[in-house]
Amino acid sequence: MKRNGPLLTLLAGLALAAVLITVNLTVTARGGDEPDPAGFGAPPATTAPATTAPAASAPPSAAPSAEPSPEVAPAAKVNAVWAGTVDGGGASIAISVTDGVAVAYLCDGRKAEVWLQGTAADGKLSLTGKKGAILTGAFGGGKATGTVAANGRRWTFTVKAVAKPSGLYRATATVRGAKVVGGWIVLPDGSQVGVVSVDDVPRPAPAIDPATGAVTVDGAKLTAAPVTGALA
Amino acid sequence: MSEQARRVSTAGLYVPLLLGAVVTVTLGVYGSVHTPTGIAVNVAGFSSPQTVKVWLATGAALLALVQLVSALSMWGKLGSPPSWIGGLHRWSGRFAFLLTVPVAVHCLYALGFATYDTRTLAHSLFGCFFFGAFTVKMLSLPKRGLPGWTLPLLGGAVFTALIGLWLTSSFWYFTTIGVNL
Repeated sequence: MKRNGPLLTLLAGLALAAVLITVNLTVTARGGDEPDPAGFGAPPATTAPATTAPAASAPPSAAPSAEPSPEVAPAAKVNAVWAGTVDGGGASIAISVTDGVAVAYLCDGRKAEVWLQGTAADGKLSLTGKKGAILTGAFGGGKATGTVAANGRRWTFTVKAVAKPSGLYRATATVRGAKVVGGWIVLPDGSQVGVVSVDDVPRPAPAIDPATGAVTVDGAKLTAAPVTGALA
Repeated sequence: MSEQARRVSTAGLYVPLLLGAVVTVTLGVYGSVHTPTGIAVNVAGFSSPQTVKVWLATGAALLALVQLVSALSMWGKLGSPPSWIGGLHRWSGRFAFLLTVPVAVHCLYALGFATYDTRTLAHSLFGCFFFGAFTVKMLSLPKRGLPGWTLPLLGGAVFTALIGLWLTSSFWYFTTIGVNL
């Protein structure tokens, strides 16, 4: 018995891992590509919305139309912009939805940023980005809540609907042969968070003029436009 | 332990080392290949999966300190060891290991092997290494005739990896985001 102790310890750990993985697979596979936010013990806010969205009659965990594919034209046309700070601070997020096509941008204003694209329908957000980035969440009642997983990190957020000039801005250009992509989140208090990537090297973005979107990057004058619809 | 052995040889370490390497490589490959789901089941009572992991890892790290002290005692570094010290070492180790398993499952299932920055890269490497090193340690324990440095070395490796894991996750969380449940 004593000599088997260490082996039993290993097997117990393996068994525990197997149980957890099985539970995970069961829970996350139930909703297809769109995992049920309640399945990971999300804050209560995720269950509260979903009622104000148009045509939100389907049960939350069985919405088949919520595949994270930007090409699918959603039946219910959602138009909204939510923006704010992620839970715990450290980064800001903005989600802009035009006719059900959702674009989200999360950035810390220094070097971390992620663009996501997907759908907003039936009170649910389902977006994906590069390198397996995922945003899942719910919206309704003037706010959006959810989780972003990207680059090995996770953020949770509950952000409110905002109106212009607050919102999500993006600028793309080629400056002296370098591909420049900038993203800005303008918050209701007037503050801005932005990151500009020059040939995929991110750095803090200079402030834009929220009225005109004018900004100067590396000496080149660009115009950041409010994000409406799918990214080019 | 080595005094009792007739022949001292590292041959008994080959199989544990091989299996430990298999564990480490498997975790790394799975973490890289598996598409992170971003979510996983949570433990009730905490505000988010992140805080669950932060506290489970902190529990494991505290038990690791118990491991260090009890191991020093077992090897007579702290005076003559009390009779219960072996039991304390074994059971605190078991609990520490079991606490790390849900954390690792969540990391690998929801997040994957990440090279986002130095911290996440170090954390990913420590994580894969930890379970491999722990496997080697467990499989080496029952072997007889291993050199005297075997268990201290393996135990030290496991301890270092776990503390490294804690520093690159929970400690980072506490200092960056804050201490909350």
